[in-house]
Amino acid sequence: MSNYTENELAQDLENQEYKFGFVTDIESDTVPVGLNEDIIRLISTKKNEPRWLLDYRLKSFAIWQQMTEPEWAHVQYQKPDFQAISYYSAPKQTKKYESWDDVEPELKETMKKLGISMEEQQRLTGVAVDFVMDSVSVATSFKEKLSELGIIFCSFSDAVQEHPELVQKYMGTVVPNTDNFYAALNSAVFTDGSFCYIPKGVRCPMELSTYFRINAGGTGQFERTLVVADEGAYVSYLEGCTAPQRDENQLHAAVVELIALQDAEIKYSTVQNWYPGDKDGKGGVFNFVTKRGLCETNSKISWTQVETGSAVTWKYPSCILKGDHSIGEFYSVAVTNNLQQADTGTKMVHLGKHTKSTIISKGISAGRSQNSYRGLVQINKSAHHARNFSQCDSLLMTDECGAHTFPYIECKNPTAKIEHEATTSKIGEDQLFYCMQRGISEEKAISLIVNGYCKEVLNQLPMEFAVEAQKLLAISLEGSVG
Amino acid sequence: METGTLNKLSLFVEDLNETALAPNALKDAAHEFLAGQDFPTTRSERFKYTRLAKLANAAFSAAQSVNEVQIAQSKILIDAYTIVINHDNIQIPKNLPSGIEVSLIAETQIPFNEAAFYDIFGALNILHASLGISIHIRQNITLDKPLQILQINSGGKTFYRHHFSFEKNSEVAVYFISKNTEGHSSFAHTHFQYNIAKDARVKIFKIQDTNVGHFDFNEDRAKQAERSHFEINTITLCGSFVRNDAQVIIQGEHAQTYLNGAYWLKEEQHVANYTTIDHRVANCESFETYKGVATDKATAVFNGKVFVRKDAQKTNAYQSNANVLLSENASINSKPELEIYADDVKCSHGSTTGQLDENALFYLRARGLSEAAAKNLLLQAFMEDVLAYVKNEEVLAYVHKRIAARFNWNY
Repeated sequence: MSNYTENELAQDLENQEYKFGFVTDIESDTVPVGLNEDIIRLISTKKNEPRWLLDYRLKSFAIWQQMTEPEWAHVQYQKPDFQAISYYSAPKQTKKYESWDDVEPELKETMKKLGISMEEQQRLTGVAVDFVMDSVSVATSFKEKLSELGIIFCSFSDAVQEHPELVQKYMGTVVPNTDNFYAALNSAVFTDGSFCYIPKGVRCPMELSTYFRINAGGTGQFERTLVVADEGAYVSYLEGCTAPQRDENQLHAAVVELIALQDAEIKYSTVQNWYPGDKDGKGGVFNFVTKRGLCETNSKISWTQVETGSAVTWKYPSCILKGDHSIGEFYSVAVTNNLQQADTGTKMVHLGKHTKSTIISKGISAGRSQNSYRGLVQINKSAHHARNFSQCDSLLMTDECGAHTFPYIECKNPTAKIEHEATTSKIGEDQLFYCMQRGISEEKAISLIVNGYCKEVLNQLPMEFAVEAQKLLAISLEGSVG
Repeated sequence: METGTLNKLSLFVEDLNETALAPNALKDAAHEFLAGQDFPTTRSERFKYTRLAKLANAAFSAAQSVNEVQIAQSKILIDAYTIVINHDNIQIPKNLPSGIEVSLIAETQIPFNEAAFYDIFGALNILHASLGISIHIRQNITLDKPLQILQINSGGKTFYRHHFSFEKNSEVAVYFISKNTEGHSSFAHTHFQYNIAKDARVKIFKIQDTNVGHFDFNEDRAKQAERSHFEINTITLCGSFVRNDAQVIIQGEHAQTYLNGAYWLKEEQHVANYTTIDHRVANCESFETYKGVATDKATAVFNGKVFVRKDAQKTNAYQSNANVLLSENASINSKPELEIYADDVKCSHGSTTGQLDENALFYLRARGLSEAAAKNLLLQAFMEDVLAYVKNEEVLAYVHKRIAARFNWNY
């Protein structure tokens, strides 16, 4: 956006409401606003895609046109105008980066602000990062080191070029393009994302990480992540999201597919910190995401999410427990403040015998926000001895916010055991009193109690992420109690 | 939807007349709600687990009156004031004590409360209800004997409407028994309207014991004033197609609400319990306990909703649903919901589905009980939480007898 000046940027940084509200001044290559077959062809051509992928996109577009936007979620928002969005925005550059040193300095600066300075990360943490800005993957670190083990970790576009057989084999198998409105839209217009393949028996030695950022105004981000862990493989995958502060609503409709083949394990952690809008609910990101994993025999998929951003969140990371003895886990902390709305939860579909699932969901509502847990536990006829445990707790910080629980429990097998419990309450006055009596300020005391309340989930996050998540929690809840 | 062509719903109501009971404003609202509607499909949230095709395609036999012997046999309580309702025949006892007034709803009427329709059946009831009773309990009256209302369905489609008004500081227990005669296929939708005044203590017990061929729909709408105590205990002994939809609006502080249910299902039975407790004021408590057992191809549905409005601080709401599944083809669908807009509250819900504890079974078997006897004992104990609310010995004995006979359980 051209009318966004350095002064405004400084102001934004100063007011500290949203730490990541900056725009990187890089020329973007953006396609015309609107959505039709030509735009899709244009995206496909720009990305030099094979014929089958274009066909898949066009088919998805046709399916999407037949669909209507779902309305069942417990959220209210102005529906996005799909013709007013630019579906492709790439940082402009023609040459591919040969090495990290070739990356433009402005971009490096952005990453630094985000706290994911690559040099530092490469050196200190050994995390391999795929950085997606607007819609296009910018740099992937540690590629060589990973490729020695046969691990493929690259942007989705590169994967389409270099490993089309893998992409074609797995894409859309977990989230088909007929799945839902936003998944169909994503299948038609997705621009980039990450692709990860861990070969048989390989334990990925480092955490893989993707950072998403919406930069340009009036763009939507439609990325696609596909993680395949082949037999006996293990991978821990991190995903972080930020967006600059803008007055209008931005749309983020991603699709994440995880495939854990026999004996494999995938751990997928998200720290979502899209711009949540200002105090009066102006602006902010609409986060409408479809995330789903497929578990084959003996495999395990674990979703961990810390959701603090977005004006409207609408997200249900799910597990299809297809193979016998497979395990699905879902750990979530969802924080809403001001006028944020979140409708989030999970689906655990038990198909195989002796499948297990655990759901731990912690909601925190502050300001005038609405926070809902919506979950499905479905035990099918074939799922003998399936086991589920769900716990959904909500914490209310003010008398103007709301906390809601909508669990669906469907059981068709007499050998299954399902437990669900939910509680809603506010921070105990006695707990606060105890802390304050010992000289801890109210704000600090609340942050301490909230951290303790979320501990079960935060413990699931990899170290660096856990620290960041704790900071985020503190920022999100700043000044929420008065 | 095309207008002009007859859909299944308009065929269903074709032979029903619109009645003059309800005020015009409500009827207009019902007409508006029903305009262009057909039977809801499983795509609709409230009927997600209930297939109405069975009802839409059912043929109903002509309504017939039952004789006095059948009525006498259907009574469960011997020492009670008994009202008998059998399609167009309503018997009201003559010996009622002062302070209680029972009349036909068509004659004296407790005014209709304003209504919000949750589904087509509520709206249909407004338009087509013809039969029912008004029961008025005066101030400070404690009824010496329970009130027994026996509703016997013997063919036909009927919309019933019963209005209850419990005045200040009254106390009463009402046993509502629904049965049907064998060999008839029938449909009954019964709307219960309860107004519970200050300090009143009201316990409603529903004994649902209907057989194959009867579709039993119930809609309870209650309003509670301050310090009142209100209970609905729904005991579903048998019923091929039962839907209970209870809603309680709490309008006065320090009120207590209990909604409980027990269901034993076998064969192809379908029983759905929907509850809504709406906490609108502060300092109230509500408790829900629904427990059930399902075997064969039966399906049980529980959907409980607790609203805590912005002003309802210090609310204490508890909801629990526990189920035991005994066969491969039975299924349980449970959806306990909380919608909370106040912060100083304690709300919780729990839902479990599973089978009998193997350790408990082993314990009993090690003491010489047969497998069947051990299972029966555990199942009996499982349901006792809910039955504990039923204080009447005659009713308890009847419940145990019926369950033992249906499931071959020996107590």
